Amino acid sequence: MSMFSHIHDYRYRHIRTVAPTAESGSDTTATTAATTPATTTQSGSHATGVADSGRWSTRRIAIYALFVALAMVTSFIEFPITPVAWLKYDPSGIVCLIAGFAFGPSAAAIVSVLGFVPHMFADPWGSLMAVLVALCLSVPAALIYRSHRTRKGAAAGILVGALLAIVAALLGNLVITPIYAHMSYAQVAAMILPILLPFNVAKMAIHAIITFLIYKPVSNLLAQRH
Amino acid sequence: MIDTTIRRLTIARLDNIRFSYDGGASWALDGVSLTIVEGERICLTGPNGSGKSTLARLIAGLAAPDSGTVTLLGRRVFDDAGPNADEYRQARRGIGAVFQNPEDQLVTTSLEDDVAFGPENLGLQRRLIGERIGGALVAVDLNDRRHADPTHFSGGQQQRAAIAGMLAMRPRLLVLDEPTAMLDEVSRAEVLEILDELQARGTTIVHVTHHTGDTVHADRVLRLEAGRVQADVPADRSDEASLSEGTTAQDSIAPVVASHAPHDSNAPQQPFAIVADHLAYGYQNDRQPVFTDVCLRIRQGETVALMGANGSGKSTLARLLCALARPAAGSIMVAGLPIAPAKPKRKQLTELRKRVGYVMQHPERQLFADTVADDVAYGPRNQGLSDDEVDQRVGEALRLLHIEHLADRSPFELSGGQQRLAAIAGIVASKPQVLVMDEPTASLDAAARSRIHDLVRALRAQGVTMLIITHDRAEAAMLADRVLDMNQLCRSNAASPSDSETTETTETTSVSAAKQHHSLLQRLDPRVKMVGFLIVMFSMFAVSNPMQLAAAALLTLAAILAARMNPLEVARTVHPILAMLVLMGLLNLFVVRTGTPLVELGPISITDDAVRFAILYTCRFALVIIQGALFLTTTGPTAITDAFASLLSPLGRLGLHTQELSLVMSLALRFIPTLTDEALAIRNAQAARGGSIETGSPSQKLRAMAAIIVPVLAGTMRHADNLALALDARCYEEGIHRTHWRQLAIRSHDIACIACVCGWLVVLVTL
Repeated sequence: MSMFSHIHDYRYRHIRTVAPTAESGSDTTATTAATTPATTTQSGSHATGVADSGRWSTRRIAIYALFVALAMVTSFIEFPITPVAWLKYDPSGIVCLIAGFAFGPSAAAIVSVLGFVPHMFADPWGSLMAVLVALCLSVPAALIYRSHRTRKGAAAGILVGALLAIVAALLGNLVITPIYAHMSYAQVAAMILPILLPFNVAKMAIHAIITFLIYKPVSNLLAQRH
Repeated sequence: MIDTTIRRLTIARLDNIRFSYDGGASWALDGVSLTIVEGERICLTGPNGSGKSTLARLIAGLAAPDSGTVTLLGRRVFDDAGPNADEYRQARRGIGAVFQNPEDQLVTTSLEDDVAFGPENLGLQRRLIGERIGGALVAVDLNDRRHADPTHFSGGQQQRAAIAGMLAMRPRLLVLDEPTAMLDEVSRAEVLEILDELQARGTTIVHVTHHTGDTVHADRVLRLEAGRVQADVPADRSDEASLSEGTTAQDSIAPVVASHAPHDSNAPQQPFAIVADHLAYGYQNDRQPVFTDVCLRIRQGETVALMGANGSGKSTLARLLCALARPAAGSIMVAGLPIAPAKPKRKQLTELRKRVGYVMQHPERQLFADTVADDVAYGPRNQGLSDDEVDQRVGEALRLLHIEHLADRSPFELSGGQQRLAAIAGIVASKPQVLVMDEPTASLDAAARSRIHDLVRALRAQGVTMLIITHDRAEAAMLADRVLDMNQLCRSNAASPSDSETTETTETTSVSAAKQHHSLLQRLDPRVKMVGFLIVMFSMFAVSNPMQLAAAALLTLAAILAARMNPLEVARTVHPILAMLVLMGLLNLFVVRTGTPLVELGPISITDDAVRFAILYTCRFALVIIQGALFLTTTGPTAITDAFASLLSPLGRLGLHTQELSLVMSLALRFIPTLTDEALAIRNAQAARGGSIETGSPSQKLRAMAAIIVPVLAGTMRHADNLALALDARCYEEGIHRTHWRQLAIRSHDIACIACVCGWLVVLVTL
């Protein structure tokens, strides 16, 4: 091990994060980099101190932007997974989860909120609900994973996130369904067990399985960004 | 040491530079020293991995070395004390950088706004920005397209746009990292011409390239090898340095030409492996078809090279032959299976996937698995082979490409060339009878290229039929039995590249003409429009009686007229969700129990109330959809971003990084089409290996989805890497003071719009 072994480029430090311990406390790194004079940048980082460190480095902006774009794209790939036609699965939740695991809770939040902005102009109330569900899934998962950077930590994160997301989805449906159909809360509540719960469980299960299938290759991918 | 003949200003001076990507285990640059004086044009050459891109980045001030000293534009940016951020910041304002991937350097969807981004970051006054945009666009000959969307440009035009984005910042030094690597010959010439002009105007140029032709007009050619300067010579003597490469290429041609002869004489007896007749293809919504009457016949065992300009439809033809897209007309028979005009049945398609292999452009972008061996096994596994057979296929494929030693490595830790070989092994492992390859050697260095040439020869000896798309005439002649030009294949109205060029320009002029006749809705201030539409759309769900519904319909009709759109055409936007609307109506019919029953069928009864609610709820949701569509069709991404930024800005006082969030949003909207196209390409490429998310058992579907998502994520991060550099090159920095080229102003029609929205709310409350 050379003297450089513990020092990573600030710009890339955020990116090497799925690998355990690589980014224990990305946010502390970010804040110190932002508050201390850039001239104190460690050697070996290749940072110039201009726009390549800190919470809003150009690199972070680019990562956020591309993940938001990906969430937008995937949110339009909808297909039914239950016989109920208006409840459709879309893989955008996976993008929010991966953003959170790789780049921290704030990334998860930004991707979850901005990723559904285009839907605002198609289904305004539905998009608010989608944002709520995505936030409940990805932010807690990212928070848990931040302190337990292992496959187990990821599993626990997804589990907690999925449970919260299901609760949010059910509560959200109680509020939102009467906007689309003239139904009382009791009528919507009656739909929970036969329709809403199975759909949401199936949706989260697919998210979880796929995120798990891609965990290893994506860790490799993140670890190899320079 | 400064030459006595040149008493010009030193632009950049690097002394004893070392740079390592792996913390000192290996050195990408090892003791490089270099002085560049004003007005010089320097070419940096060398094989892949020689450190030339790294060096370019250091010269552009976009990265700091591990040790040495760097002086850029007279500022000592890096020395033993480390990087000096302030000096770097100042130096960078005078340095422009252009990178290999043209698309990733575009930050927005209007050329004018894109060019303005740099000057805005420099905080220039609005008047000055206007001058800079004009000057820069004239210099790259794109001034007539300033309102066009650069993401729809050809690669060459995009690269010129990227150069314009730099020129608008008036750089004294321009660093270009393989700006022509992804371009065809015509586009390459366009870019080089612009460099010649800049050189004549006295701009200092550092140009990284591996095209020997590019070095002709350089003052000096610097050749790097393994992180060291191997040669630093005046351009006229650089031929000697690159001579060795030339001779190896010559050598490899000789034996292949000889092997052609026996094969050719056999060919006529072989039946056809590919028969395509009178193919026509046009993208949806495009008036100009890609091609109208293409005929192609290839015999079994033949190797055919297909050439032609970008945009002539080569890649489209490849996808048609692999049944990854369907022609508008014509018939196709591949490997004995009919795939057009009749849609192939699922069984035929499965068989086709076994017999036909497809190497997409940049196949390394479809790598997804944990290890190379796993990735290569994907195709054979989808064919349902046993584990032993799969292992055998994988071993064979890896041997064919000489990458057995990489089997257990992650595909993401390989070099670009190795990744390409691994990806191609993944297609070869399916043992296709017919192999279609789309530019398999593009942007590879000589070593990797020759591996692929070896593969083509080996497969040819095995009797595999091959269609290889390439831009490299020498390669085509060397590998193929026959070389075809896309234009020859088109029987009627050959869509020559010049044709497509002209149609492209006429289209954009019609677009810009349309821009001058903006509808009222388009002229609205985007902030007013966005807030207004959102208020109306959200409140639409409060509509609860026929009077309100009538008022809502009137308001929507008024908006349609203000957008100068045909109401019937607008109504069609509801079409995609028609099924959902019907379903919503039905749901309402059955859940509402109040009112007098109209129909009674056993336990189900439909009441008059139910019919009323069904109509009301369906109509108001349909109106929301129409309003959303109106907003999106009359508001471009730049306008949405402007509105977003402006509406968000008050939150800046709460400590929210509104400028950065707006930029994220703007970039996201710009990258949607890019990511969509890439995701589709990857889905096609994996489908060609038998991985489909539509068929198979649930576990197969999930695995197929993973095989698409991982490469899409990899692509997402690759774009982000490139984009971050492009933002750096344009001097964007967190929290800087930016000026704005585009100005928003509330005018009388905006006030009228606000009045309309207020009127609507009053109606909603009172009626």
